[in-house]
Amino acid sequence: MSKIITNNLSLWYGGFQALKKINLAFQEKRITSIIGPSGCGKSTLLRVFNRMNDLIDGVRIEGEVLIDSADILDGDFSDLVKLRKKVGMVFQRPNPFPLSVYENIIFGLKVHHLVEKSEREQIVRESLESVMLWNDLKDKLHRNALGLSLEQKQRLCIARAIAVEPDILLMDEPCSALDPQATLKIEGLMQRLKNDYTIVIVTHNMQQAARASDDAGFMLLGELIEFDRTVEMFTAPKDKRTEDYITGRYG
Amino acid sequence: MRTTTKQKIAFSVLFLSTLMVILPVVFVLGTIIKNGWQGISWEFLTSMPRDGMRQGGIYPAIVGTVYLVSLSIVFSLPIGVMAAIYLNEYARDNLLTRLIRLAIVNLAGVSSVVYGLFGLALFVTFMKFGVSILSGALTLAIMNLPVIITASRESLANVPYQFREVSLSLGLSRWQTIRHSVLPFAIPGILTGAILSLARAAGETAPILFTVAAFYLPKLPASIFDQAMALPYHLYIISTQIPNIAVKTRYATAMVLVGISFTMNIFAVIIRSRLRKKKKW
Ligand SMILES: Nc1ncnc2c1ncn2[C@@H]1O[C@H](COP(=O)(O)OP(=O)(O)OP(=O)(O)O)[C@@H](O)[C@H]1O
Ligand SMILES: [Mg+2]
Repeated sequence: MSKIITNNLSLWYGGFQALKKINLAFQEKRITSIIGPSGCGKSTLLRVFNRMNDLIDGVRIEGEVLIDSADILDGDFSDLVKLRKKVGMVFQRPNPFPLSVYENIIFGLKVHHLVEKSEREQIVRESLESVMLWNDLKDKLHRNALGLSLEQKQRLCIARAIAVEPDILLMDEPCSALDPQATLKIEGLMQRLKNDYTIVIVTHNMQQAARASDDAGFMLLGELIEFDRTVEMFTAPKDKRTEDYITGRYG
Repeated sequence: MRTTTKQKIAFSVLFLSTLMVILPVVFVLGTIIKNGWQGISWEFLTSMPRDGMRQGGIYPAIVGTVYLVSLSIVFSLPIGVMAAIYLNEYARDNLLTRLIRLAIVNLAGVSSVVYGLFGLALFVTFMKFGVSILSGALTLAIMNLPVIITASRESLANVPYQFREVSLSLGLSRWQTIRHSVLPFAIPGILTGAILSLARAAGETAPILFTVAAFYLPKLPASIFDQAMALPYHLYIISTQIPNIAVKTRYATAMVLVGISFTMNIFAVIIRSRLRKKKKW
């Protein structure tokens, strides 16, 4: 089933068109990767899905983005808070708050008053377990998260995002600050998480896209050039430009 | 000239300049302490002045200054922080906000006697608060606002942009983001700025001259609508208006005044380093 569908999605930063009539469909409980050279609009596309671009002055968006069949760009769609709870985001740099591990995870819940105090322990535990950090951190829950390793920080950020129980996880180059080993571990984690979440990952790393994703989209200068099963795209690309890019003849 | 020689010259010049900054301060403090410490006693700090202020203590002046400073922060801190939040988090970067910013920077440089006259016109006369602690505290608050706004804005701007992004991505509204993901991390800087500005306010004479300060009062103020004595003004009076007063009394009064500012500064440093340790990124 399609979790996210875009119809003729275009986006302008002032006079500059960063997305050009994008049409695609992300399938539920699969990992979809978006690849393409720097500046082609990958992050911009990702940030449409939780409407983070709203923060930037002069952004104009056209077209439709359906998430669970509701058009999130529609003028009547005003519940940004609900949208962002449903669509979690993991950023490029691991960026926990300078608070304890525990406080980081319950950060969103606490503000939303979603849970009783007594349930918090349980949620912290479940969130840490689902990112496979519980065993490492169960005795360090009240230590400052800034003392963790980069990989642990990134896992913690994922835990923080899933603590508010989203359906979708957007990941913008989640491994680019990590070493190859940590990268593989995060990829392993993503395979686990896709049982419960629809994952969209932006990456510069072609091997990562090939290894870790089920579907893949290739973008160039704001256009979606090709969208297919990852295996198809990496073994038999239909477009010459895709082929050039994945064989390394492009930037 | 050889590079090492040049290096040495540059180093010496820079070092001397630093010395020039520090030396006068050391000299002033030294003079005050040398002449004043004999005048400091428990009685001096806690009793009313007697005998045309030549004897007794400076208790009412200390109390007056504490009242003024405390009340002024009650007005200036909330307003200053809210203005800073508006300017840093909400206001768009357009001509109007740039003008406001420019005005704030310039207001911070306006001479304090101008604030005194402004306070006299607005609070004492127009709003009919009379010469009172309220008028004085409001005048000090107005004088401090630009400093507090600037310091608060800087600390807000120092909170990484990512904190706001993460917060919004977790579904917090803009106000919740400011309240939970920005403000807590800006507080050390805001408090430091506020305390430093207060330390300055505690020592100013001009803003309180027309708005609150009394030459001599036989008893302590009973409400914020009373006049009060204040340390800087008291020091001015005993130094210029009262003949045959002991040198040590004057210097001891100066020492108390400097001591209050100094304590507040130390306090600011401690608060900052404490909170920083907890909320550092
Ligand atoms: N706030 C902005 N204002 C104006 N132009 C922007 C803004 N953000 C991005 N752009 C432009 O939009 C285009 C797409 O940017 P985007 O960040 O989506 O690219 P990307 O594919 O994520 O690149 P990278 O791989 O380097 O992260 C770029 O040309 C960029 O310069
Ligand atoms: Mg990007």
